[in-house]
Amino acid sequence: MSDELDLALGVLDHQLLDRDGRRCGNVDDLAIEGGPGEDAEVVAILSGPGVWPNRAGWLGRVAARIGGGRRVRVPWSEVAEVESHVQLKKQATDYGLGAGDDRLRPFIERIPGAGR
Amino acid sequence: MKIFQIALGILAAIGGFVDIGDLVFNVSAGATFGYELLWVVVVGVVGIIVYSEMCGRVAAISQKAVFDAVRERVGFSAGLTTLIAAQIVNLMTLAAEVGGLAICLRLLSGLPYRWLIVVAIVVIGLVVWTVSFDWIERIFGYGGLCLLVFAVAAVKLHPDWGAVAHGFVPHINTNDPVLYLYFAVGLLGAAMTPYEVYFYSSGAIEEGWKAKDLSINRANAMIGYGLGGILSFTLMITGGALFLAEGIEPETLGTIAMGAQVPLGTAGLILALVGILFAVGGASIDTLFAGAYNLAQFMGWEWGRYRSNAGAPRFTLTWLVLLVLALGIVMTGVDPVMLTEYAVIFSVVALPLTYLPILLVANDKAYMGTHANGRLANILGIAYFVLILAVSLSAIPLMILTNVGQA
Repeated sequence: MSDELDLALGVLDHQLLDRDGRRCGNVDDLAIEGGPGEDAEVVAILSGPGVWPNRAGWLGRVAARIGGGRRVRVPWSEVAEVESHVQLKKQATDYGLGAGDDRLRPFIERIPGAGR
Repeated sequence: MKIFQIALGILAAIGGFVDIGDLVFNVSAGATFGYELLWVVVVGVVGIIVYSEMCGRVAAISQKAVFDAVRERVGFSAGLTTLIAAQIVNLMTLAAEVGGLAICLRLLSGLPYRWLIVVAIVVIGLVVWTVSFDWIERIFGYGGLCLLVFAVAAVKLHPDWGAVAHGFVPHINTNDPVLYLYFAVGLLGAAMTPYEVYFYSSGAIEEGWKAKDLSINRANAMIGYGLGGILSFTLMITGGALFLAEGIEPETLGTIAMGAQVPLGTAGLILALVGILFAVGGASIDTLFAGAYNLAQFMGWEWGRYRSNAGAPRFTLTWLVLLVLALGIVMTGVDPVMLTEYAVIFSVVALPLTYLPILLVANDKAYMGTHANGRLANILGIAYFVLILAVSLSAIPLMILTNVGQA
């Protein structure tokens, strides 16, 4: 990780990868703490449809409703590396990320040839 | 061995270049303005080469496909708007390709159209479900090479080669400039269809391209699409030499196939139909994948045919749903050729927000390092972005002014 990081361009809206390289959502928003006069600090990555209303007004609210409104908070300390993707230290399931894929998988697996 | 592989990739790119948009716009442009719009095809083909090469390079180096770049560069809000526009246009294109596939099957078999729509959908679904990404590209790419029959047809129709050569010189028809410009916009849109860059960049990641594969990327984009563009020329020349002379307006795929039948007989007709079958069949799958790639990348879901069907569940569900939606649209009995015209014109409107993020990421040295855009790529990239912007602003007004090319 380089010393300086442009959060808006280098982290926000980037792909999240878990420890095993699984795609498990995007950086939908960042939680930043610090009052006036203090240093602002990124404390967490926010991911999931529940964050979208903050990002895109009415369109974001509609999309969030369709998407189910889930929202996952991943502490910034869990970030292993920021390259072209944002890599996390543990598996997606440890953070509750990629839950949509995990819920759907058993249904897809029932169709013959799903492993192809 | 590597040369051999590159050659096979190029062949697949040539055969996969033409889709229903190219068929419809090139042949009707030829039937309306003869060879006068050939130069526009050159402009369009160079454009798709520039942006395919760029997005393939971005994918190989940074592992980002187009909708990853869209979200990162234009943000969530504008990105979501782009996504919605892209998905609507993409679904229209998918439905048009599927309709074209069913028409082709009907012309070859004589069975009822509606049954064949269902057959087409089921076959596409089975192919995508069971066949690997590489083989899908190969089967449909090589099959599409049957369209080379139009090159033979174009020569056999003895066009006025002087007039053909003149068509490559940029100019504007003064008798009916508005209709001419409508066709120009359509030809550019057909050559630079957005799904091609969605599919191409995601395909680069499907095939696991890295920096060492940049030569394959260049070869596929420059030689494959460059030679694929020649197919577009031959379609337009056929349209000009046959349909313009006979005063025929090619309103169906059957008429387009006649372009090979008249000079070459039944064998020509069958080769043309088989070529169209593979071309629109391959394009159906490309657009189907493109729709699923776009949504999955925007959402950050697992995606790709290199994962198993169950390995990327929401990606798999997305293409299944898109297939069902396409079935519904084509079953309404909407004319696929008309749907194609609308899809191509609307796709032009969505192009700038697709190309801009590619251009921005390709210039970002933080990801691209020494593989960032050089001067040539940037000059061409910016020139084409400006062109696309102008074209996208004029597309809808021209469509209305010409009553979708009927004026």
